[in-house]
Amino acid sequence: MKRWVGWPMIVALVAAAFLLTAGIAIARYEDQLYTTQQIRDVTEQAQILAASVSAAVSFGDRGAAEEYVNALKVNPELRAAGVYDGSGKLFARFSRGSALPRAMTLVPAGWDPLTDAGTLTVKVPVAAGGKTIGAVAVIATTEPAQRRLARYIGLILLVTMGALVIAVLGFSQAAISNRAEQLARVNARLKQEMDERQKTEEALRQSHKMEAIGQLSGGIAHDFNNLIMIVKGSLGLLRKRLGPEILQPRAEQYLISADEALDRATALTQRILAFSRRQPLSARPVNLSLVVADMNALIKHSVGEEVKIETALASQWQTLCDVSQMENVILNLAINARDAMPDGGVLAIGTRDVSLASAPPSVAEFIPGDYIALSVRDTGVGMSGEVLQRAFDPFFTTKPLGKGTGLGLSMTFGYVRQSNGYLAIASIPHRGTTITIYMPRIPESET
Amino acid sequence: MAARARGWLAGVVALLWMSQASQAQDPVEYTVKAAYLTKFVPFINWPDQALPPGAPVTICIVGEDPFGPALDKIAAAAGAGSRPLVIRRIATTDTAETQILARCQIAYAGDPLTSLDVIDALKGKPVVTVTDSGMRARGIISFVMRDNHVRFDIDDAAAERSGIHFSSKLLELARAVNRRSEGP
Repeated sequence: MKRWVGWPMIVALVAAAFLLTAGIAIARYEDQLYTTQQIRDVTEQAQILAASVSAAVSFGDRGAAEEYVNALKVNPELRAAGVYDGSGKLFARFSRGSALPRAMTLVPAGWDPLTDAGTLTVKVPVAAGGKTIGAVAVIATTEPAQRRLARYIGLILLVTMGALVIAVLGFSQAAISNRAEQLARVNARLKQEMDERQKTEEALRQSHKMEAIGQLSGGIAHDFNNLIMIVKGSLGLLRKRLGPEILQPRAEQYLISADEALDRATALTQRILAFSRRQPLSARPVNLSLVVADMNALIKHSVGEEVKIETALASQWQTLCDVSQMENVILNLAINARDAMPDGGVLAIGTRDVSLASAPPSVAEFIPGDYIALSVRDTGVGMSGEVLQRAFDPFFTTKPLGKGTGLGLSMTFGYVRQSNGYLAIASIPHRGTTITIYMPRIPESET
Repeated sequence: MAARARGWLAGVVALLWMSQASQAQDPVEYTVKAAYLTKFVPFINWPDQALPPGAPVTICIVGEDPFGPALDKIAAAAGAGSRPLVIRRIATTDTAETQILARCQIAYAGDPLTSLDVIDALKGKPVVTVTDSGMRARGIISFVMRDNHVRFDIDDAAAERSGIHFSSKLLELARAVNRRSEGP
């Protein structure tokens, strides 16, 4: 509404003023034209009458002159017409309301048309043989100036109003389409925001789920670990008490397999603890580029000949982390990538320094700042949306039974979160998967 | 011209004079007739050979002259326009005079005998013969008296034969017109 009260209104008003002025000018011109035209018309009629009555005036035939004069009665515009003889006396006439002078002087100065109070008087000489022998006077009605003015003003107003209405319609139309456009833009933005919000909510829910699972499994693993310690301690004491001579022949192998099972249980609980961020970490400042570079041979050995390895190590910043755990994580991701590329492919590992103002995709509860991004990308089978949703869930695996524990990615997730970093995952089915670890940069003052 | 039958003719001068001199018609009647002789001129067209443009128009009075010096005065006043008027008086219609007669533009004959001679002599010639009222012989224009007013008849057929053309305005004022043959 504001827009339309602004300049378009001014333009409309200016246009209206212009139309009004033009209308007045045209009306004035028309009026002048009308007056001259009428003078010409009436003069013509008077001249015709003068030419017709010349003989009648010459021979003093009043009857013939009256017949000519009366012929002008058919023109309703004419109020009176008269013929004057050589001495200037009124000789023949007809009159409708307007009085003719009884006599007139036949001097050239008297031939000018005379406009007065709604009447137009025209006088022309009657000539015969090159001599002026009389005169003709014709009085015509003119439309009063006020009435003509009123008519013109009415016309001008009508035209102006019409133009204004068109202008108003045009501008309101423009305003409406403008509004519609704005609405469409707002709608598009709303939709985009809704989509973003949905994604954020999804990430948050995922994060809460991992939190809950982590707490539960972490608690269980912790208690289990204590129980395993007790069993392990008890088994050691039992071995000492019984001595080798009793154990040797019959029971040694049972103790050994029990010990082995306990070791496996310990490893399992360690992994669960890692996922639930309860593992003890010995963090120190490191450059992740160097960590990856040191692992080059190990990774090459792990993924085999089929997979081509590309590294782009651009990161210069340092982060605080447990190096051996980080190595585990990187190795784990490399092996996952290899498993996703049974027919070979490219494994790309890269590090770079990024300053992030907002959360990367699929990351929730993000704190903006400087990060070192370590990404592991494969050109493998990728993941469907459903699988992607559960990728970090403990014990969730797409590998055949007995091949994977379903703890690799969940452990990675737990470790990264425990190190105040973030884990982002992106995948397109049949195109590949990219997992990116964002580790916080240590401010220079702390190193 | 039935419409013209209602009309009456009277010059302004005639009206003024007639109100006083009722019975003594002659002086007033002939003053009017003299004025008419001059007033016909603007409404008549002669062939160019007979009357070159700008040449003076000659009005001839053949035989008895009923007008006297009044005619000369009227002619002098009327001739002030585009064409000068010349008044000639011709005594007889002898052979010698006939040559002069043929050079007139208007020939007036007042008495019955001269009238017949003039009409005979000028038949087919571009001269407007004018005869007075109350005579059997009738020229191209013949005066008639009606209700004490001077009027005239026009023999347009004879005018056509003489190559003379009358203005329709004048024809309309005539009491009676002997119409010319309808042209194709």
